[in-house]
Amino acid sequence: MSRPSSKNPNLAGLLALAVPGLGHLYLGLWTRGLVIFVTTLTLAYVVSWALESFKIALLALAGVNVSWLWAPFGAFWLWNVLDAYRRAQQRAAPRLWGFLLPALIVYVIAWQVTDVNLQRLVTRFGDAKIILSAIVQPDLFARDQVSQIGGAPIWVPCSEPPQPPLETGYSGYPVRLDKSCATVGETVTIFGEGFVPGATGNLHWLSFEGANEAQIRAGGQAVAVTVDPDGRFQQSFPVPTFAGLEGLDPQNPLLHSVEARFTQEVGAYHPSENFGDLIGKISQEPPPQVLVQLGLVSADALMPTPLLGDIFETIAIGLMATLFSIVIAVPISFLGAHNLMARVPGGNAIYYAARAIFNITRSIDTLIWGIIVVIWVGLGSFAGVIALTIHSVAALAKLFSEEIEHIDEGPVEAITATGGNLLQVIRYAVFPQIVPPFLAYALLRWDINMRAATVVGFVAGGGIGFFVIETVRKGGYAQYAAALWVVAIVIMAVDYLSARWRKQILEGETRISSEPPKAWYRTFKGWAYAVGLSIAFVVSWNLAQIDLRKMFDPGPTFGKVVSDFITIDTSPPVLAAVIKQLLITVFQALLATTLGAIVAIPFSFLAARNLMSRTRLSSAIYNVARFILNFLRSIEALLYVAIFVFWVGIGPFAGMLALAVTTFALIGKLFSEAIENIDAGPLEAVTATGATRIQTIMYAVIPQIIPPWISYAIYQWDINIRIATIIGLAGGAGIGLLFINYAGQLQYHKAGTVVLAIVIVVTLMDFVSAKIRQKLV
Amino acid sequence: MLRIEHLTKVYPNGTVALKDVSFQVQDGEFLAVIGLSGSGKSTLLRCINRLIEPTSGKIFWNDVDITAASSADMRNIRRQIGFIFQQFNLVKRSTVLTNVLSGRLGYTNPWASLVNYFSRVDHQRAVKNLERLGLEDKAHVRADSLSGGQQQRVGIARALMQEPKLILADEPVASLDPVLSHSILKYLEQLNKGDKMTVLCSLHFLDLVHRYATRAIALKAGELVFEGLPVEIDDARFKEIYGKEAERVSIV
Ligand SMILES: Nc1ncnc2c1ncn2[C@@H]1O[C@H](COP(=O)(O)OP(=O)(O)OP(=O)(O)O)[C@@H](O)[C@H]1O
Ligand SMILES: [Mg+2]
Repeated sequence: MSRPSSKNPNLAGLLALAVPGLGHLYLGLWTRGLVIFVTTLTLAYVVSWALESFKIALLALAGVNVSWLWAPFGAFWLWNVLDAYRRAQQRAAPRLWGFLLPALIVYVIAWQVTDVNLQRLVTRFGDAKIILSAIVQPDLFARDQVSQIGGAPIWVPCSEPPQPPLETGYSGYPVRLDKSCATVGETVTIFGEGFVPGATGNLHWLSFEGANEAQIRAGGQAVAVTVDPDGRFQQSFPVPTFAGLEGLDPQNPLLHSVEARFTQEVGAYHPSENFGDLIGKISQEPPPQVLVQLGLVSADALMPTPLLGDIFETIAIGLMATLFSIVIAVPISFLGAHNLMARVPGGNAIYYAARAIFNITRSIDTLIWGIIVVIWVGLGSFAGVIALTIHSVAALAKLFSEEIEHIDEGPVEAITATGGNLLQVIRYAVFPQIVPPFLAYALLRWDINMRAATVVGFVAGGGIGFFVIETVRKGGYAQYAAALWVVAIVIMAVDYLSARWRKQILEGETRISSEPPKAWYRTFKGWAYAVGLSIAFVVSWNLAQIDLRKMFDPGPTFGKVVSDFITIDTSPPVLAAVIKQLLITVFQALLATTLGAIVAIPFSFLAARNLMSRTRLSSAIYNVARFILNFLRSIEALLYVAIFVFWVGIGPFAGMLALAVTTFALIGKLFSEAIENIDAGPLEAVTATGATRIQTIMYAVIPQIIPPWISYAIYQWDINIRIATIIGLAGGAGIGLLFINYAGQLQYHKAGTVVLAIVIVVTLMDFVSAKIRQKLV
Repeated sequence: MLRIEHLTKVYPNGTVALKDVSFQVQDGEFLAVIGLSGSGKSTLLRCINRLIEPTSGKIFWNDVDITAASSADMRNIRRQIGFIFQQFNLVKRSTVLTNVLSGRLGYTNPWASLVNYFSRVDHQRAVKNLERLGLEDKAHVRADSLSGGQQQRVGIARALMQEPKLILADEPVASLDPVLSHSILKYLEQLNKGDKMTVLCSLHFLDLVHRYATRAIALKAGELVFEGLPVEIDDARFKEIYGKEAERVSIV
């Protein structure tokens, strides 16, 4: 490390002026110089790109189009000069500007690229209300609907002399009018009895021969009718102008009729039809073949059969994918373990190849895999299972191999020393060390897979994801809302179970009894689990429509797809389109992270147990806050997109908002845990000085949580970029949209470019975010 | 009888950990191996049962050349040699009983042991050894829930399962406090005196050597610099083995 004081400040400044970062390199500040250089380059590119593609920050100066963002850009350049100059004198330029100026540029562009339009949030709040009210009234339970209609005839107009009274009530329910004839605008009163008490309904006018009809209105509003407790009603109304459309000739009066129509919900609430689709129902179905062959039932009899709904299909997809990925990941994880592969000839090459494949596969989202797999095995749950399995195998294999690398060599040595052979060493020294962490990771992966299974249907068909696109397409928001609730409940349960079992496995029970534990096959619980798991396996296998044969019978275009994917299209227009969508995606993720984090900051204090356990009220608030976070966190961003598409319209803004909701929930949890993990010492000390709650937070809590928060926010941005790559699949724009467009037009070489770009960006962000976070801790 | 002849070990990175070391251990001896940290004690003990492959030299165990043994023969030789580690090397997540039973692996059919099957006799033997080390009530707890001294006793019980004729102990008490050190070494003494097992034990503290060993050897930078009775290590010898700066410290 060179001593900056020995360097010439003027030279450092000049070099920095010539090339940003060069001044720092001259001072021996390699990292800083490099970061400044790369930042300047990136900013320059982004500013000119934003001007060209979106006319962002356009300023027509003397007929020339320039971007006013060059001003802060220049300021950043000058800051770099000042910093180099000052550092040569062993002082530093104010750091703040070094962050603020690039941030200003980036956010101005992100704001416009993402098409943020706050006004639309307000002006279209009416639409949001429709969705929000559906969410609090999901279509899961309903009561039976009974309709009652009673009608009575009437002449229009009256003849001379008036017509005799007519027979009343033609449709079962006795209804009569106080007049046998009337002309337009005249007030008539309708009477009825025998209706469901308390029912409300409307009146309808049916023209001559019932050819046309209209609801009867008075003063611009529909005339409402209410049945009194004894089942009678009475209501006056004006004869509508509509009644005169066919002529008002007293010589030739026409026979019209008036109908009172009631629909009333009766009886107890019961699961609605939507409940049946989502969760399941008992339906009368032909009996299974086996029972018929055994002669237990006749072939044409119907048996009550439980039909499981889409949520169970989703659960099955997640479960089967987890099982398959464990089975595949365990053996291949050995290829990615450096300590093992170093002992095998050529092992190092295999190790690097394995790790690279794991990382690339992992960086492509499950849904993108889904689109590819569908071409292979066709639409359906099975495609979802394969897509999840591919991603999951890579993720698990990476974790497993790291776990193998971290085993304690001591027991290996000890078992070797007792004379155990290789097999025994693996069984007694390696196995016991890796099985618990493997199981724990598998459970974690189960949780992740269950979440992915709720959205994989967007592209693969099957499960809740497919249900959601179908209902949203039909405008069934109450049905969509029901799906959200069901997903939230299932995922919250999975989240809880997975965390609990993981804890049990890793901590283990340290038994103190001197009795040996019973083998599982000697206990009732053991059998119960075994039988339960076997049934779950068989049911899931069927629900997920596992059909391994399909894998060997790929769709006709699949060969072309694979070869096209590999011959990546790098023609300039494709590259420009890909870069454009990629930048939108990155900016979308950035804004969503910022927005979600800003909302989460105040909220996380409410969800921190240590701050909220003083009074009963505050712990009640804590519980509510935690529930909100858990609820929102359990629904994938993709499932939220429909809400925002309805609210602010299709496009990057809707995608950003959906992403912000999940960000809020995920980061809110991390933030509040950071608060919970603070050192209580300073807290006590500040409280002891007589400080108020707010002062305590300002002086004892904030300083402790800022570094972890920044670290979490960066981590979240990293995650959000991954999610943002698929948000377009549901109408949220970005690179995902480009991908399905290309894939939909069968331009797979272009789709390949998209995938490659995603891999590069995700890997790069992964690396950068890990580096920054390392610095922070 | 154990006979070491011209044993040399050079690690792949070029470190010469043992340089032409030769000595003999008679049956029934309690031989202490002393020397500074890095002098090659662990390397020596590990070479004896070939946890580490020696670079050159020969090791004879009852006139069988260990360095020339095939891997099948090694299994037979290793099971006669118990090894006790400084870091205990227990499988932390397995139970104490499983750890102890694993000492029997050299005798059991590899395929049967894969499904964790050990004969009734082996189980009885394990219980007996646990009783001997005062751990009978800990058989079914996880190894990592025990204290350091208890874990080392499990390590001894595991070695006893081999019914060894020779015990190699690599600083068995270096991770333990003084009181526990004595309790562990007393078990080794018992095995040496009562069960007539030969013990090779590397130790750090000289008064432990005086108290327990019948003979001692000293290594310095991989070379054998002393071989004789513990009482022969006077201040001059001590300075020679441990360097000029060293001070004799004693342990309770
Ligand atoms: N696997 C290895 N690879 C390379 N060098 C090693 C290895 N193991 C030990 N060494 C080196 O060999 C020399 C002897 O090491 P050894 O562990 O045998 O000494 P020791 O006397 O047991 O020391 P301590 O008292 O610290 O346990 C040391 O210089 C050590 O750094
Ligand atoms: Mg050692």
